[in-house]
This record gives sequence, C-alpha cells and structure tokens, in this order.
Amino acid sequence: MKQVYYVSDMHCPACSMLLEGIEDDLPGIRCIAASYHRQRLEVDFDTTQVSEAQIMAAAEALGYRLTLRQG
Amino acid sequence: MVDLIAAFVTGLTAGGLSCLAVQGGLLTGSLTPATSKPARKSARRHRRSASVTARPILLFLMSKLVAYAVLGILLGALGSMLQLTPTLRALLMLAIGIFMVGNGLRMLNAHPIFRYFTFEPPRFVTRYLRRKAKDGVTAITPLFLGALTVLIPCGVTQVMMALAIGTGNPIQAAGLMVAFTLGSSVVFFAVAYLASQLGTATVHGFNYLAAVVLIVLGVVSVNQGLNLMSVPLTIAQPRGVAGSEVRPTPVAAPGEANLLTIAALPFGYEPEQLHARADVPTQVTFVSDRLYSCSRALIVPEWNIQTILPETGTFSFSLPPQAPGKVLNYSCSMGMYTGQIIFSP
Repeated sequence: MKQVYYVSDMHCPACSMLLEGIEDDLPGIRCIAASYHRQRLEVDFDTTQVSEAQIMAAAEALGYRLTLRQG
Repeated sequence: MVDLIAAFVTGLTAGGLSCLAVQGGLLTGSLTPATSKPARKSARRHRRSASVTARPILLFLMSKLVAYAVLGILLGALGSMLQLTPTLRALLMLAIGIFMVGNGLRMLNAHPIFRYFTFEPPRFVTRYLRRKAKDGVTAITPLFLGALTVLIPCGVTQVMMALAIGTGNPIQAAGLMVAFTLGSSVVFFAVAYLASQLGTATVHGFNYLAAVVLIVLGVVSVNQGLNLMSVPLTIAQPRGVAGSEVRPTPVAAPGEANLLTIAALPFGYEPEQLHARADVPTQVTFVSDRLYSCSRALIVPEWNIQTILPETGTFSFSLPPQAPGKVLNYSCSMGMYTGQIIFSP
C-alpha cells in the first residue's frame, strides 16, 4: 500500500532524515521518502506487517503529525 | 593576525547562530543514535551523563573544523588562480545576501518558497548514516556529518569562503576558515549542548534570533554588493546632503592638476567625499598608517584598480581629466567602507 502524507512541523532538512528512519524501527516498510521542501512523506508498506496507525504513531513519537493527502 | 581575530569574533557572534540554523539539522542527525531506541533504553538504565551528548557534538565540531581547514586550502588555491574582478565580487555578495535573507525568511516560515533556500542531503547519504548508526558505529556519524557541513555552508560561512578566495593564498585562507569555524563552534557547542539538556524550546528561540541576524546580515551583504557595483542608492554610499558626514575639500585652481589625499582608516576612508576640478588630470593618493583593517583592500571598480594598501605607506594612481558631474566611487573589497570623488567645473 502506498500513502502520501502531509507533514507539519518539518523545519529543516534533518527532519526528513529523522522521518525516513522510521523504516529502521518498523517492519514492512518497502520504501519511504520524506521531503522538507514539499513537507511530505511517501511510504510504501506491507499492510500485513505494519498498519498505517503504527506509522503515524512512529512519526508522532518523533514530533511530527502526519495528515493523509487527499487526491 | 587581525583578520583571524575578526574571523573568530564573526564566528563567535553571527556565524555561530547562522551556522546553527543552517547546519543544526545535521548535528541533530549526529545525535540521533543517542536518542534511538537502544540508546534510549541504555540511557534509562544508566541515566544520561553529560558526556553522552557532549561527545558526538565535539566529534561533529572537530570534524567540521578539519573539513573547513581543507576547504580553506582549496579556496585559497582557487583564489590564487582566479582573480575576482570587482563586478564578480559584487555579484557574489549579492547572491550571498539573497541566499541569507531567503534562509532567514525560511526559518521564520514566511512562505513555503523559502524552503528551497536550503539543501536536503542526498537520500543515499542519510540512509548510509542511519545504517552506520544502527550498526553501532556511532562515532562515525557525527564525524561524517560534521564533514558534510561543508556541503551546506551557512550564509556567514559563505561570506568567509568568499573572503578566503579573496586572500588568494591557501595558508591564509585555511587560517581564516579555521578561526571562523572555531568561533562558531563555541556557540554551536553551547547551544546544541544546552538544547540537548534543556529541550528543543531553546533551539527554537535561537532559531528565531538567528533568522533575524541572517536577514540583517543578508541585507548588509546585498548593500555591500551594490556598493561594489557603485549603485548610488545604498545605505553606506555617501549621498551629499543625505546625512553622512561630508567634508568639502578645496578644488584645484583652474588649469592645475588635482592632488587628492585620502586617509585609509580602520573604519573607512577620510574624507568620505572629495570634490575635485573636472577637465584636469588628477592624482589620488591613499595614505595608511599602521592600518590592519579590511579598508586596506581597496577597489576602484571603474578603473579596475584592486590593491592591498601597505600597512603604513601610500598608494597613488592617476586619472585623466574627468567630465563635470562625474562621480568616481571606491570602496574596500567587501563594499563595507565606501567613498567618492565628485568632479565639478
């Protein structure tokens, strides 16, 4: 499953680095790419191994709130 | 020596805050292993000691220092090969100024467009660093990230880099960059260490302060660039009755050559504005006396004169007869100190 989120509270490029680190903590993340410039996070994940709620919680633990982008 | 002290003080003041704002993210990255899951567990078990956070910060800064020393050598070598013309230098100052203002506005979240004033490290680099941290090679991360700061120099650092190129000497340029980086490292360490101990609220506060400092320095840089281009409407340019101190000087008698003497002082040129007779030859002499300031680096853009005045001594050049109304601008190589000669009938 591929989801694109809007990320609030990204204030520098290092935020992208921290967010992409989620793939090290959670199983089932196939691909993850964060962009400070566009304030967004793209995640391709295996729903049998990890849920969207877990991804959002992991981001929140790092201090970022994810909002699902519509369209 | 004075240049090194000035570079150190610049680093200690504006440079430290500016660098922290632009490169602080990489330092945060280098601290990431200390806040990752295993480290958090370890910290809970052992209680985080001061050295836990001080060590990666110190490694980061040491690596940064070495990287900038190497960069200084390269820039000095580049400067020795490439003589910057006043116009090129002015464009460089303008670009640096715009970049600084843009970064300041980015930090203030003025508009999303300003996010593009900073660079995101390539993904393969960040992934490599994370993997290294996960493998337990924690010392490498801050060392590598410290060296990587070379790729995202802050605005003030870029000014120093331009100055380093301007020295045209690898050793001098390296000394300048090291002095500046040492100064900024003091602030970097103090703020980063305090932030890791007291929380991110401190960093946010300093971010705003650094943003304002960046914008002010950016405007100064743009102003200096405009000075170097002899654009009349700049802050530092003497504008006759518009406020700056103007001392009219006696003009030559009809038919006689103008003999103008200008004192190069630590904080500018005296007088700032000279009047001379048009249509006769002119000899301009700059006099310096135990002068160690950047006003020694004299530029007269229109005549492509670029020279370093002696610490004590004189430097003269001659001008052919000038048309009435002609204004000849000169400045130091950074455009900080300016002056002009006005030719009238």
